[in-house]
Amino acid sequence: MNSMEGLVTQIQGLSSTASDVLMLQNLLKQANDSLHAESTRLLPFLDQLDPSKHSLGYLYFLEACTAGPITKEQASSYVLIIARFLSSCVSEQIRLASHKFISVCKRFKDQLVLLGEPLRGFALMLTAIRKFQSSTEHLTALHPEFLLLCLLAKSYKTGHSVLEEDIFEVDQPKDLFLYCYYGGMICIGQKHFQKALELLHNVVTAPMFAVNAIAVEAYKKYILVSLILHGQFSTSLPKYSSSAAQRNLRSLCQLYFDMENSYSNGKIGDLETYVQSNKERFEHDNNLGLVKQVVSSLYKQNIQRLTQTYLTLSLQDIANTVQLSSVREAEMHVLQMIQDVEIYATINQKDGMVRFLEDPEQYKTIEMIERIDSSIQRLMILSKKITLTDELMSCDPSYLSKGCRERQKFDFDDYDSVPQRFNV
Amino acid sequence: MASSSSRGLTFKLHPLVIVNISDHYTRVKSQLNLPPSLTSTSSAATSNNNNNNSNGGENNQQKPPRVYGCVIGVQRGRTVEIFNSFELIYDPSTRSLDRSFLEKKQELYKKVFPHFYVLGWYSTGSDAQESDMHFHKALMDINESPLYVLLNPAINPAQKDLPVTIYESELHVIDGVPQLIFVRSSYTIETVEAERISVDHVAHLKPSGGSAATQLAAQLTGIHSAIKMLNSRIRVVHQYLVGMQKGDIPCESSLLRQVSSLLRRLPAIESEKFQDDLLMEYNDTLLITYLAMFTNCSSTMNELVDKFNTAYDRHSRRGGRTAFI
Repeated sequence: MNSMEGLVTQIQGLSSTASDVLMLQNLLKQANDSLHAESTRLLPFLDQLDPSKHSLGYLYFLEACTAGPITKEQASSYVLIIARFLSSCVSEQIRLASHKFISVCKRFKDQLVLLGEPLRGFALMLTAIRKFQSSTEHLTALHPEFLLLCLLAKSYKTGHSVLEEDIFEVDQPKDLFLYCYYGGMICIGQKHFQKALELLHNVVTAPMFAVNAIAVEAYKKYILVSLILHGQFSTSLPKYSSSAAQRNLRSLCQLYFDMENSYSNGKIGDLETYVQSNKERFEHDNNLGLVKQVVSSLYKQNIQRLTQTYLTLSLQDIANTVQLSSVREAEMHVLQMIQDVEIYATINQKDGMVRFLEDPEQYKTIEMIERIDSSIQRLMILSKKITLTDELMSCDPSYLSKGCRERQKFDFDDYDSVPQRFNV
Repeated sequence: MASSSSRGLTFKLHPLVIVNISDHYTRVKSQLNLPPSLTSTSSAATSNNNNNNSNGGENNQQKPPRVYGCVIGVQRGRTVEIFNSFELIYDPSTRSLDRSFLEKKQELYKKVFPHFYVLGWYSTGSDAQESDMHFHKALMDINESPLYVLLNPAINPAQKDLPVTIYESELHVIDGVPQLIFVRSSYTIETVEAERISVDHVAHLKPSGGSAATQLAAQLTGIHSAIKMLNSRIRVVHQYLVGMQKGDIPCESSLLRQVSSLLRRLPAIESEKFQDDLLMEYNDTLLITYLAMFTNCSSTMNELVDKFNTAYDRHSRRGGRTAFI
């Protein structure tokens, strides 16, 4: 216990300047094992430390405390302590011991899940992420934890705000997989199917040695979402996906492939019988809700196909072609689609005719200017980043060793002096 | 013989004319130089040189050929703008000008460019000569005071200006005899967007160690700095007005009057059709810029991917990527 007290005083003394903190870190590293040995008796020491000033020391103590198995009663008290720590810690100090911080947060999440109260946690998790990230483009191990809490708490909006940021740096590949998978699920929950498709696409085409479970689950959802959004699904993965994925994913998701076959026939009856017969398997994958959305989207796809053939159509004909039960239902569907700006049409209620129109966008408005302008700005930023990465890559030793071997002798007469591109 | 003109006409020359003249000259020179080297052996050529044979081909080897042609354009008030030119057949020894050809060409050009008419003629050489006056007088029945555009084809790397001079003819009394003499006039180069791009292109065929920036980029930079200056000046006026409103600066009604008169000059047109057209064109330009950015970005991305593949693709061009390194 003496060593613990000595450690506490040292922490209190050495937490003021950056150089002191580094010295403190070395001391703590050496004392790590003794801390872990005393894990059960460390709780009173935590009160002597102030998390906002002595974040590093507090972190070490906290991590040692929570290392062992925790019962439910202890969990709630620990949750309070960790919550207080997360809201008041200092980012420079915790970044010095990133692994410990990550493991503390993970345990925080586990305890919340254990208690069944994810709502308490995700706001704090968000602050933790903000303190831990070196920039908003940095994907940490905390992101998937945060998204998981959002999913469990069903608060998709906060999760979505984190998803809005573009990611350029990733610590661990597993983080990326989980992040994209959970992110896809959050977007599905918010019905932003386009973004969900992008995120799930990332998971499926990410480089991997062997197929992992996250990719399989993501692929199943990917098939369903692309059916909802586009009404079709390309059965072959793009060329840049890993060979492991290309070979194995298909066989693991055969059920969904067959669903795609019956979907493309366009017959509601077939699709519904297929879904009924495989209901348990869909439930097992927790995809039943999504599958039901796929079925309802088949109506939309059929109506959309009608816009390409007919200029005007009566509601009765629509109901017949799309196999809806009544004219009323057809009208509801078409109205919903017009509201969601999925088709452009006018319904004439007097004679029950629907006229399909062209896209009325004239590109004459100021809003369009602002939209294009913001897209150009985003693209400029992206272009700068890519140029930077390109330059970094040119200096990369493995590229230089391989690339320069392949290139022929530089013929100066053939050198084209016209600039290849305009540098922004 | 050549002195500065005091007429007060301003001349504007388009680069198309210069390119045309130089092209004409180069073509004639390269075409005429071929036959002597094909027909005679090298020793015979040198012996012919020594004998000072006045063979037509020999002449051309020793003296560069002169080319002749007409320049056409528009004259509006005191401004003469030379847009285009075409070639003529003229033999200085016999002083015969192919009139029918000239008239035919004139008619053809009149059909395409109804506003243009013959403003003068051009030739190549280092300086205006006495014999040129005959051609000049011959053209006087088409245009009462024609111009003479002279291009010096000798390449002088030290020279910074264009080797193009424009001469006018003036009636001067020399030794009691009224004579027409050539007087040099100043001119400016005027370009249209399309000409700028083509001159750019032509200039780049021969890398002469000039600046890396293209002419288009230079012009856009000019516009950009002009807009920036306008922006900063407006900001200054704005700050001044805000200061006056707050009361930090004493009110000066004369300045206020000036500012309000400036503001009342804009907007110049205020109608719905104008708004529509303006926004549509604005959107079109933005879309083109967007497309250009996209292309730029994709090309960078392409290079990056190529580099990545060469660096990390252990199984050279097999489908699929290897793991995170």
